[in-house]
Amino acid sequence: MVPTLWAASLRHLLRHPAQLALALVGLSVGVATIVAVDIATASSRRAFELSMDAVNGPATHQIVGGPDGVDEQLYVALQTQPIAGISDPPAFAPVIEGYVNVGFHSLRLIGMDPLAMADLESGGDAPEVAEPQLTRWFTQPGALVMTDRTAATLGLLQGASFGLDIGGKRSTAVLIARLHGRGAGYDSLLLTDIAQAQEWLGLRGRLSRIDVRVAPGPGSARVASALRARLPAGVRLQSSDTRTRENLDMTGAFTTNLKAMSLLALLVSTLLIYGAISFAVLQRRRVIGILRALGVKRSQVLAIVLSEAAVLGLVGAGLGVLLGLAIGRELVSLVSRTINDLYFVVAVNETTLPSGTVLKAVLAGLGTSLVAALLPALEAVGSTPQLGMRRSVLEARATGLARRLVMVSAALAIVAGVVIASSSRSLLAGFLALFLLLLSVAALTPAVLRSLARAAAATLGRASPIARLAFGDIAASLSRTGVAVAALGMALAAMIGVSIMVESFRESLHDWLARTMRADIYLTAPGAGANRPERKLDPHLLSDLLATPGVAAYSMSRGSVLEMRGGPVPVNAVQLAPASYDAYQLVEGDAAHTWPAFRRGAIVISEPLAWRLRLKVGDTVSVPAPAGPHTFSIAGVYREYGSDRGNALMDLRTYRSLWRDDAVTSLGFYLRPGASARQVIADMQAQARGRQALMIASNADIRALSMSIFDRTFVITRVLNWLAAGVAAIGLLSSLLAWELERSRELAIVRALGLTPRGAAGLIEAQTGFMGLAALLAAVPAGLLTALVLIDVINRRAFGWRIDLHLNGAQFSNALVLALLASLLAGLYPALRTARAPLATEIREE
Amino acid sequence: MHRVLDGADARIEAGETVAILGRSGSGKSTLLNLISGVDRPDSGAIELNGQEISSLGEPARTVLRRGRMGFVYQFFNLIPTLDVEENVRLALELNGIRGAQARQRSAAMLAQVGLGDRGRSAVDSLSGGEQQRVAIARALVHEPILLLADEPTGNLDEQTAAHVMPVLLSGARSRGAALLIVTHDIALARRADRVLELREGRLQPSAV
Repeated sequence: MVPTLWAASLRHLLRHPAQLALALVGLSVGVATIVAVDIATASSRRAFELSMDAVNGPATHQIVGGPDGVDEQLYVALQTQPIAGISDPPAFAPVIEGYVNVGFHSLRLIGMDPLAMADLESGGDAPEVAEPQLTRWFTQPGALVMTDRTAATLGLLQGASFGLDIGGKRSTAVLIARLHGRGAGYDSLLLTDIAQAQEWLGLRGRLSRIDVRVAPGPGSARVASALRARLPAGVRLQSSDTRTRENLDMTGAFTTNLKAMSLLALLVSTLLIYGAISFAVLQRRRVIGILRALGVKRSQVLAIVLSEAAVLGLVGAGLGVLLGLAIGRELVSLVSRTINDLYFVVAVNETTLPSGTVLKAVLAGLGTSLVAALLPALEAVGSTPQLGMRRSVLEARATGLARRLVMVSAALAIVAGVVIASSSRSLLAGFLALFLLLLSVAALTPAVLRSLARAAAATLGRASPIARLAFGDIAASLSRTGVAVAALGMALAAMIGVSIMVESFRESLHDWLARTMRADIYLTAPGAGANRPERKLDPHLLSDLLATPGVAAYSMSRGSVLEMRGGPVPVNAVQLAPASYDAYQLVEGDAAHTWPAFRRGAIVISEPLAWRLRLKVGDTVSVPAPAGPHTFSIAGVYREYGSDRGNALMDLRTYRSLWRDDAVTSLGFYLRPGASARQVIADMQAQARGRQALMIASNADIRALSMSIFDRTFVITRVLNWLAAGVAAIGLLSSLLAWELERSRELAIVRALGLTPRGAAGLIEAQTGFMGLAALLAAVPAGLLTALVLIDVINRRAFGWRIDLHLNGAQFSNALVLALLASLLAGLYPALRTARAPLATEIREE
Repeated sequence: MHRVLDGADARIEAGETVAILGRSGSGKSTLLNLISGVDRPDSGAIELNGQEISSLGEPARTVLRRGRMGFVYQFFNLIPTLDVEENVRLALELNGIRGAQARQRSAAMLAQVGLGDRGRSAVDSLSGGEQQRVAIARALVHEPILLLADEPTGNLDEQTAAHVMPVLLSGARSRGAALLIVTHDIALARRADRVLELREGRLQPSAV
């Protein structure tokens, strides 16, 4: 390649540092968003996997039972009665698992037998307890072991005594040893003896599960099968990986949504990079023309332009990865907090950068830049070398293209509709339709901009020739203005759509809470994990609480987790007060038939569960119970926003008869007329004092808490949405800045003809502000459509719930502020520059 | 469809300088575009040293243009991101002459046009006359057999034009290159060996 051509190329980039910097910023932020989301989700996922690895150890399988686990006698039987005909018998280790709180920290309590665990490990990564501590492990009441890091986090020294909160009951523990050099997976674990854990968690005679290690080899399937045959009814053998996968699957829709948001940022940045690079190519049409006339081949021009784009892409991707690492570290806390709120307890202490992410980021940056540069470069070299600037030809082409893009826009919208109509459940198809819709907006925007600018020039131009010039210029410079406004329009549409979706969801949740939270006071045993068995009310306290003066009626509930097809499902076994039936808004089934059937033993399931497991009224589900699989018929489907995995509702009597679990997790109290909720709460607290810590809250407090969790959940959505909008704003800034600077000579001529410096600055601000408004105008209907797709397609397919559309002005105000701010800011520097520039220099030809 | 050139026919000998006069819109620039291979005629033929140009494909025309022709434009058309010497050297490098040889030849060429001391200057720091001399140096440095000049004095004042034109004319003659000048300037045209006038799409001998 000719060295001077490279020199010219490099110097062109360096001579436009602001343009170069803005293009790089747009690209970097787009790439950074992808990297950050990958890091945040991968870190949470990795932390969970490590924690599961630490808990599972080298177990290949687990023996699990119902909500109250398995009988410990089963473990004794398995250890003492070998399976006939098996030469390499499996190793077993009993495990008790539950959640406890130390201060404000939620941790996982693991009860284990170190000797059995050592058998299971046989050289694996077992947490070893040294000889002197081993004696204390078995003899010291409340003996606990944790990692150095966990001890440091909790501020505990070896030998320290501290309080443990388990389901509202306080116990005393002693830190007898600290584990050194353990992986991050152990950080959320407290290890104790099996008998101690049984006592603390109220699981005497029961085990959460029995870990099994089947030696690998051709006979492993036969061993597993023989073992399965030994298990009593209601107890199952499952692979350890299955449970980890099921738990991780819970977050699938949540992480898919995050990835979609990050792709949106990249899509916006793609358009902007296209705008920035195509603009750079357009600016150099004259030089390209001279080079072509001098004999530079098309392929050489293409090579230069694409090389520039590749360098930009690589540098942008590199910066994006670094920026993404920084943003990712911040996002990790948002993502893990949401996962803790909604799915499972996870402590993320390390950030993970997935190996594929850097490659993905580089490909995204490089690919985006190359595609963005290819089209304008092909256009520039494909035409006859022009020795002068044929702007008119170029703009005529741009106008023609804008007209054709209207057809493309319609086609994209139609395809989006077809994609939605032809797929009923695919989330991927939903996102595809959403992106097609946003692209449709982008394709339509240049034509809208041109029409609006022409209309403004025609109407306002009657009053002022300067107005005619300002708006006429926008319409006549579509090759420069169209892409920037299209990108902004797309980002604004996404912003409006997401804003409407979030607000609609919030309102729907608010209405749902008002309907669902009917009781005056709610009371529950505290602890992590909504349906954990250790969360239960003290039975003696329970009867005292029910007799509290002022209580007119109550509902009681036992939270549990049952196995259905597709994994564990939270089940609320309830005894409902008469007023509580209306709390469940049935979307399938009618109250006259559903509730009598429910009381006879049928279950009622939530909308997300019905969607996820494709269940409807009249279907049946089989659930393992101690006496063997029990088949439940489905009597109704109710609206629910509490869990995106779904819940099932069972009559408390049915649950108790099948699972022999008389515990109660929570209560809802209806008060007598005139009774003071505050007084009743005070009475209940007095009764519980010294017996069990309880979470007692009024109806209003629960609603406020629910809404605050909702707002926390959507913080990350809003952050990503603003990132996408930020990319668009930077892009608009970049493109309009370049356009206005390119026109500085034209403006100087108008100034020479008599326009004041202030008038010239006003003209520029009017132009950029107008473009911001034009983008907003295109974005408003598109944003509404986007919201409908998000609500009726994406949310429905991802979570199964239906959301009612709620519109208000605030949903549009952010977009208005962004559009005006970005566009007016874009005009600021050129306006100041034009107003201050010496006319003689600006007007000088060549 | 507007017919710009219709039956235009002329032959230019090696070393000959021919001026073409014509009103605005008479097709002078189109004629230069056709001769240089930038455009292709709907019919007819253009030959350079016996080689038919218009039937060649675009890449071959590009290679022929950069090797055998040189261009001088009214608005100079220098590359603003390259300095004076680099602008001249570009024509050599496009023809495969690189490194020290290219630098020596471009420096020598600049010296010939009187800009030997301005090699490292930015092109926009030069006067119009100096820029046109850089353009002439760029057009001549690779020893073309045909020089095409499109209104070469159109953007220069009379005095500057009087200094620049001898550089162009002598540069072409000393190399035995044919020089075709498209111009409005009758005084300039008179300095050519032959003057043609483009009228109604045809080339006719001019009485100038």
